[in-house]
Amino acid sequence: MNRAGRLGLALALAGTLSCRAREMARVPAPTPPPAPPPAALGYLDEQTGATPVFGGTVRRRLVADPATLNPILQSAVAEAQVIGLLSRNLLDYDRTLRLVPGLAESWQVSSDGREFLFRLRAEAVWEDGTPVTPTDAVFTIRTAASPEAGAPIFGPLFEGLESVQAAGPRAFKVRFREPYAYREMAFVMPLLPEHLYRGKNLARAPQNRRPLSNGPYTLESWKAQQSLVLVRNERYWGPRPPFDRVTFQVVPENATAYAMLLRGELDETGIDAGTLARTNTDPDFGACCRAIEGYTLDWSYIALNNRSPFFADARVRRAATMLLDRGAIVRGLFRGRARVISGPFAPESPAYDANVPPLPHDPASAARLLGEAGWSDDDGDGLRSKEGRDFAIEILVPSGNEIGRQIVETLAAGLGAGGIRAAVRSLEWNAFLEKLDSGDYEAAALGSSAADANPDPYFLWHSSQWPPAGLNNCFSKNAEVDGLIDAARRELDEGKRLALLHRVHALLNADAPAIFVANTTQKHAFRRTVRGLVTSPLGLFGTWPGPAGWWASPQPASAPTPAAGGGAS
Amino acid sequence: MSAARRLWKSLPVSGRVGLLVVVALWLAAAISPFFAERAAEIRLDERLLPPSGAHPFGTDDLGRDLLARVIVATPISLAIGVTAALVSLFIGFLIGGSAGYFGKAADLLLSRLIEVVLCFPVLFLLLALAAFLPPTPVSVVLAIGLTTWPGDARYARAEILKFRDLDWARAAKVAGATPARILWRHMLPNALPPLIVSAAFGVAWSILAEAALSFLGVGLSPPAVSWGGILSAAPAFIEEAWWMALFPGLALFATVASYNALAEGLRVATTEKGGA
Amino acid sequence: MGLAAAGVRAHTGGGRGSFLTRYVLRRLLLAVPTLLGIVVLVFLLVHLAPGSPVTARGAEGGRRVSARAAEEMKRLYGLDRPLPERFGAWISRVARFDLGESFVDRRPVSTRIKEALPYTALLNGTALLLALALAIPLGVAAGGRPEGPFDRGSGAVLFALYSLPSFWAALLLQTLFAVKLRWLPLYGVASDSYGGAPGLGDRLAHMVLPVTCLTYGTLAFVARLVRSGVAEAREADYVLAARSRGLSRRQALWRHALPNAMLPVITLLGLLLPALLSGSVIVERIFAWPGLGRLYFDSILARDYPVILGLSLLGAVATLLATLAADIVLALADPRVKDGMLQ
Repeated sequence: MNRAGRLGLALALAGTLSCRAREMARVPAPTPPPAPPPAALGYLDEQTGATPVFGGTVRRRLVADPATLNPILQSAVAEAQVIGLLSRNLLDYDRTLRLVPGLAESWQVSSDGREFLFRLRAEAVWEDGTPVTPTDAVFTIRTAASPEAGAPIFGPLFEGLESVQAAGPRAFKVRFREPYAYREMAFVMPLLPEHLYRGKNLARAPQNRRPLSNGPYTLESWKAQQSLVLVRNERYWGPRPPFDRVTFQVVPENATAYAMLLRGELDETGIDAGTLARTNTDPDFGACCRAIEGYTLDWSYIALNNRSPFFADARVRRAATMLLDRGAIVRGLFRGRARVISGPFAPESPAYDANVPPLPHDPASAARLLGEAGWSDDDGDGLRSKEGRDFAIEILVPSGNEIGRQIVETLAAGLGAGGIRAAVRSLEWNAFLEKLDSGDYEAAALGSSAADANPDPYFLWHSSQWPPAGLNNCFSKNAEVDGLIDAARRELDEGKRLALLHRVHALLNADAPAIFVANTTQKHAFRRTVRGLVTSPLGLFGTWPGPAGWWASPQPASAPTPAAGGGAS
Repeated sequence: MSAARRLWKSLPVSGRVGLLVVVALWLAAAISPFFAERAAEIRLDERLLPPSGAHPFGTDDLGRDLLARVIVATPISLAIGVTAALVSLFIGFLIGGSAGYFGKAADLLLSRLIEVVLCFPVLFLLLALAAFLPPTPVSVVLAIGLTTWPGDARYARAEILKFRDLDWARAAKVAGATPARILWRHMLPNALPPLIVSAAFGVAWSILAEAALSFLGVGLSPPAVSWGGILSAAPAFIEEAWWMALFPGLALFATVASYNALAEGLRVATTEKGGA
Repeated sequence: MGLAAAGVRAHTGGGRGSFLTRYVLRRLLLAVPTLLGIVVLVFLLVHLAPGSPVTARGAEGGRRVSARAAEEMKRLYGLDRPLPERFGAWISRVARFDLGESFVDRRPVSTRIKEALPYTALLNGTALLLALALAIPLGVAAGGRPEGPFDRGSGAVLFALYSLPSFWAALLLQTLFAVKLRWLPLYGVASDSYGGAPGLGDRLAHMVLPVTCLTYGTLAFVARLVRSGVAEAREADYVLAARSRGLSRRQALWRHALPNAMLPVITLLGLLLPALLSGSVIVERIFAWPGLGRLYFDSILARDYPVILGLSLLGAVATLLATLAADIVLALADPRVKDGMLQ
């Protein structure tokens, strides 16, 4: 499965963490300012053609302490941020979202789309001097594919693996049972050093806290819950990264991180919508810092349990969508920096069909649909019921997720006006997932934050992917959607594939297995001295070299900031 | 009427103030249904408005009127406080009373039990219970009652010990009354004044405990409104909306302080009467 | 109570040693069933936890993560074995201080506790010392002239502090000192804890608000206790006698009334420990302080049962030991115990 598949799983974890840090939750001004046209936001490229300055330290922020630095067991954003500087991937994305060589210098796909031949770079070495070999790759892929390893992101990516074996001193071959259009994206994947992990318990290996680097930096120290220090890896085989040191400080709270940025104790931090709005008028901020904002492939939705007696009927699901004022959410909660979506893709993705309009906010039509579906308020108590069952549900939200809680409370109020009683329950991430996977819920706030460009709707919407097999937490089932998704996965021609996905988009909008809410932006603030930023739909960190290409300029980035209003593209 | 007057007279000034505030709170609770609609109404274009004539306490992060929400939360907080205190008192009297009444091995055993529970940080137990039970008001009441009874049990044990050897208690025993009957029909009424004091303190404590749980996100779930629940959204907006922290907290503080003052007043009143 | 007057210093009795020894022995003996009770109660908590046989249903449909956690629970607590055997295994693990491994980062629970303990000790130690340092003079001053203007004024303030929810106080202090005035940091341990030691001033600045929030409750509690003790003792014979020997009122209060007023405070010191730990949960959460309270709360949210149980056990046992120590200190200090007047 693609990393978009992380969305339900690891990615929603990203949602938890950033929500824990209360991304996007802050809105100071009493009246919402007119929303600038979102299209004005562009992407940055400060690396192409620029000359980096070498030396110095960049002080970065983590929202949480990493639970592990095992590249295969990673599941949280904070882990990805650190591992991204320690472990190179086989392949990487460039800023146009094309796959480019990483540890692998070249690769070929067989004509049936089932077999991949990778050739590793001769110069690639681990920091202890051992070369990165096909043995490492074979070991890593076998480990990731084995169910016992429980690799949260990479495990599902290698389902359907038929064989993996070395093919000479620098090459290895991976063969799958089925061809799959988006298979290549699975190889945006770091490797484990086989000589250290062989025969060890993956979850308990000491290397998980003292990882062996094959990337530009190496871990110097790690103070639990506080900080990590990375220094340049002297044995790194690629181009020298500009910064000599990278420090990560664990700062769970956005407000603290922002204050530290202004005091010069941090060089970068994620910010929320409210803070972003404030940066435009805060002279303290303008003097030292700049804000970066760009649309990502992330989108949020409210999963409806299609198996529950409440949401088995598509009319009820459509009605629920029409009772949520998504326009007001975009204006009020996201301050205009979001786009209402009509299907399970971000508008930045070619799979999104801009010709499919979102269902309107229309309580009158919703009431009619509910009535048609048999839910009516016969006893006049303001609560709809059907066959003796009151329409009273619980909406789950991961705890600490401010924006999620706000959306869900708004939905609860909207449903309430439509004669549906909805209580909001916040649950810690694991408890939340357990409920979702067992189907023991009615509605739940989820987000998809894609770490790659794979738009494959299979993992979230194909009926074969009901938990525990997959991530179709809505338990949706639509034979036509299934057929189109299957066809798209086999279709190796991009144009034809997108046509199929556009039909899936339209069908899911009408069938409303979930309430699709909005596509959002990544918002980040930097000290002006930090240069070399590159943004794309994968954000600041999803492309190579990303932060490994940043440097400190003696001439700080000049005003006006490329913040809200559009990055210099 | 005259009993009420006697009570009023016997209370110190602080206790009288406490009593007045408590009565006012219950009145607010009685009229709170009139504010329910406004408290639930989300207006995303009126988020985080500072206090003004239209919104005396300002609005919250979803544009709901904070004054209405604080008022609507009153009956919930009060009801949970009172019922949890009663549950605690019931368990406490049962265990402490039995310890005092039966003495010997039972006392030794039950006193150990009281000591064991007292050894745990209350919030540790409370969080564990609240987090593992479904987030309903009943669970919250149970969690608080199940963790706070040892205080009441100590009170009850001491009181019952005082009566055990008194003539009327011996007489009842000789007359063949069962221990349960003696405890409930004879000893409870006699032990009531100090237990009422204990319960009044317990109400203050339980309201605080519920607020802490809801503040930490393991208490009541929205749309149920409690002061702690309203406060739980405040830290995220501490930079721009101080009113979200100030007003619900003020209501909570006033309630806890007035119950404490009332309890303290009752304690003074009952001990002085007892001494006279 | 006249005997107390002569008692504090002048005591040398033949029976003293044996009374004291008997008292301490009895106290220690009583602690054994309590300890056992603590272990049993923590054992019962395991069975409340989802993932136990009670709620095993969740594990079936769960993801690998939760399935793994369920396996771990089984291994650690032998949930598949009969109850008595399970309990025996639990006791033996507790006896070996084997608290298991955290579900979150797979490290031993004891390691995680050791990491967090110094932070909580620093915060609570400072708060406790500060509370005592302020409460004792306050209590003596108020108790020296009961119903005087100082007593009434301080009484009202202390009463208010006693009813003040710490999480609300924390929010108000943050709003005022960190957001509006910008004098103090909002939260955290230090601003620059990486790359070189943070300045002492910086660390202290980070401690001010959390310590304040942890202090005032204890302060109010202890000050009221000292006040009533002093108010009672100032009329006692030995204080009057000291006055008649020419000691100033101040000297008499501090040297004679206070030591007796402190006896109930000592007894309660043991029970202050769980109260402080409870306070830590809230204060460390609000101020992002990486101590035991935050660890406990994070573990509750993450359903990290080994950590929850380890910390509960530790907290309760520490409290038991603290009360025991307080009782023994009291026995040594209180002449009535020495004389065998108290059981």
